[in-house]
Amino acid sequence: MNPSILAPAMLAESGGMVSLHPVDLAIVTVYFVMVLGIGFYLKKYTKSGEDFFLAGREMTAWVAGLAFISANLGSLELMGWAANAYQYGILAAHWYWVGAIPAMLFLGIVMIPFYYISKTHSVPGYLELRYGHATSGLSAITFAVMTILMSGVNMYAMAVVMQVILGWNIHFSIWVSSLTVGVYVALGGLYSAIFNEVVQFFLIWLGALLVPILGLVEAGGWSGMVARIKENFPGEDFTHMWGPMLHPSQNPMGVQWVAIVFGLGAVLSMGYWTTDFLVVQRVLAAKDIRAAKTAPIIGAFFKMAVPFIVILPGLLGLAVLPFHLYPANVATAGQHDYNQVLPLMMARYLGPGLLGLGITALIAGFMSGMAGNVSAFATVWTYDLYRPFMKKNATDAHYLVMGRWCTIIGVIVSISAAYIVNRFGSLMDYVQALFSFFIAPLFGTVIIGMLWKRATKAAGFWGLLAGISTAIGIFVIIREHPSSVAWFCFYAGAKPLAQQMWQALWAFVMVVAVSVIVTAATEPRPEGELRGLVMGLTEVPSEGHLPLVQRPIFWAGICFGIFLVLQWIFR
Amino acid sequence: METEPRGDRNRGGGRQVVADVEEPAHREHHIIPVWFFIGVQLLIYGILIFFSGLSEFSHPPDTVLSNLHAPIWWGALLVAIGGIYVYLFRPGRK
Repeated sequence: MNPSILAPAMLAESGGMVSLHPVDLAIVTVYFVMVLGIGFYLKKYTKSGEDFFLAGREMTAWVAGLAFISANLGSLELMGWAANAYQYGILAAHWYWVGAIPAMLFLGIVMIPFYYISKTHSVPGYLELRYGHATSGLSAITFAVMTILMSGVNMYAMAVVMQVILGWNIHFSIWVSSLTVGVYVALGGLYSAIFNEVVQFFLIWLGALLVPILGLVEAGGWSGMVARIKENFPGEDFTHMWGPMLHPSQNPMGVQWVAIVFGLGAVLSMGYWTTDFLVVQRVLAAKDIRAAKTAPIIGAFFKMAVPFIVILPGLLGLAVLPFHLYPANVATAGQHDYNQVLPLMMARYLGPGLLGLGITALIAGFMSGMAGNVSAFATVWTYDLYRPFMKKNATDAHYLVMGRWCTIIGVIVSISAAYIVNRFGSLMDYVQALFSFFIAPLFGTVIIGMLWKRATKAAGFWGLLAGISTAIGIFVIIREHPSSVAWFCFYAGAKPLAQQMWQALWAFVMVVAVSVIVTAATEPRPEGELRGLVMGLTEVPSEGHLPLVQRPIFWAGICFGIFLVLQWIFR
Repeated sequence: METEPRGDRNRGGGRQVVADVEEPAHREHHIIPVWFFIGVQLLIYGILIFFSGLSEFSHPPDTVLSNLHAPIWWGALLVAIGGIYVYLFRPGRK
């Protein structure tokens, strides 16, 4: 029986890599029914702004932690990083380990108490408390722009995957998935987003896990895979993380360890994991401060394992695929590009049923990432832009309605953003550029505000503005004059991912410099206004009465120990 | 029930943030645990994939390592996980 006849004619555009069988279509259909059903079920519990924007602040550490990590498991995690693993080898795992774990633990142990005790609804909300309207407004506007563009990235990536794998019409994929997200988030708000993200977390893992398992079986284990890669790509090192980092010419990314440790580990990842409201919002929904501190630590354990389902398939692609993949702008007709490595691996191993689950994992990844963006956008727009600048002192019910409309409008705006994404050669490069435009400077401003009570309102605003301007300026200069890359990256052969690490680092340095200078020239705020916001002026509840295994710091230590062991094993 | 929007407790001057953070100062909803929804979904998927795997004995798919019959054991795993979650977190269970 030809399964393609089961697909509505409107879906079919051209032949994809695989055809779905009836059981695959049933699995995908059950997924859509379930996420919409959860949205309708939770609508009756979403009756206040706190319900809609903060899920009633009653999530356990596990639910908040899994939603925290799932919101990050968007399309780029599954497809983009598998592609990067094929292109750069295991270097791509730096974005999961040094580029995530220290930052997630830092969020849980150091920063969460300030976010949680201040009872802010968002990161721009914290900036309003710490620095005032101007800094908060600037941060909220940049976040809203970034969020919409990120949403567009998610949708575009998903539509491309559906087109490549299944031959589905790209526009149909964009509209169906995004409107589904819009409906369930508009109905249940953050409740619905978090519930679905936890469901999606399980589907992503259980749908994607078989590819590396079967891949390792075929390749003959890790050592067999390494041997095959060396055979297929003689003279290139794809399986060491730190060895080729002494000089940028020794690795395919064109980056050295300084940029990885300081640009990625200390700035870019800190910025993303500690100030990107998309992920922080999940933690703020925790039921108490211990749950809020524990949630990112739980997320960190799972984040460490994600390379198994994302990076490993890319490496296995280097080992077992009987042909080579090429950059998207180089691949010709009949050839495959890097972004197709994960779909190719799925088509290689997954038959009927399992393929449906794998496709559902991809769709779940896309939708969880998009739901995260949309729900965060609705919160920041409503509480950080609409309320302070357009309609103060309205009722809670009014803001709730505004949040629901924002969700729908955000989805529609991000759909249009999806169509500009394909102007960029690589999806990940594009997103990394966005991160360093806004996230790195934001991290500088937030962390200075949390750790330095002397920092003034003016310093917050001008520091943030200078950081954003620096990041955009470097991006534009390199784009217009490619030879200038050596000025900023100290190596003419730095690839886009390496460029953006340096860009983030320079932006952060600029934030610090400008903040210090402006602070020295302006009057500090009275300490009484900073209680609960700044280290040294905030009373953090003691955990001394708890057994060791119930303390977040204990598990953070275990997690960091495993992280160090992984660095050693794959050095 | 309406609640005051977060973040405006310091309007109009000096602020005092109270560290009353161990107690969730709000009502709790009695929502079916998310784990139950996960269980239902995995149970359905497990059954579908398991029986799909059985049909592969008569119609082997054109995939690498199809001789391992991954849908059989993966489907059984999903049924087991889903069944446990449905049982443990079913509505009404105390």
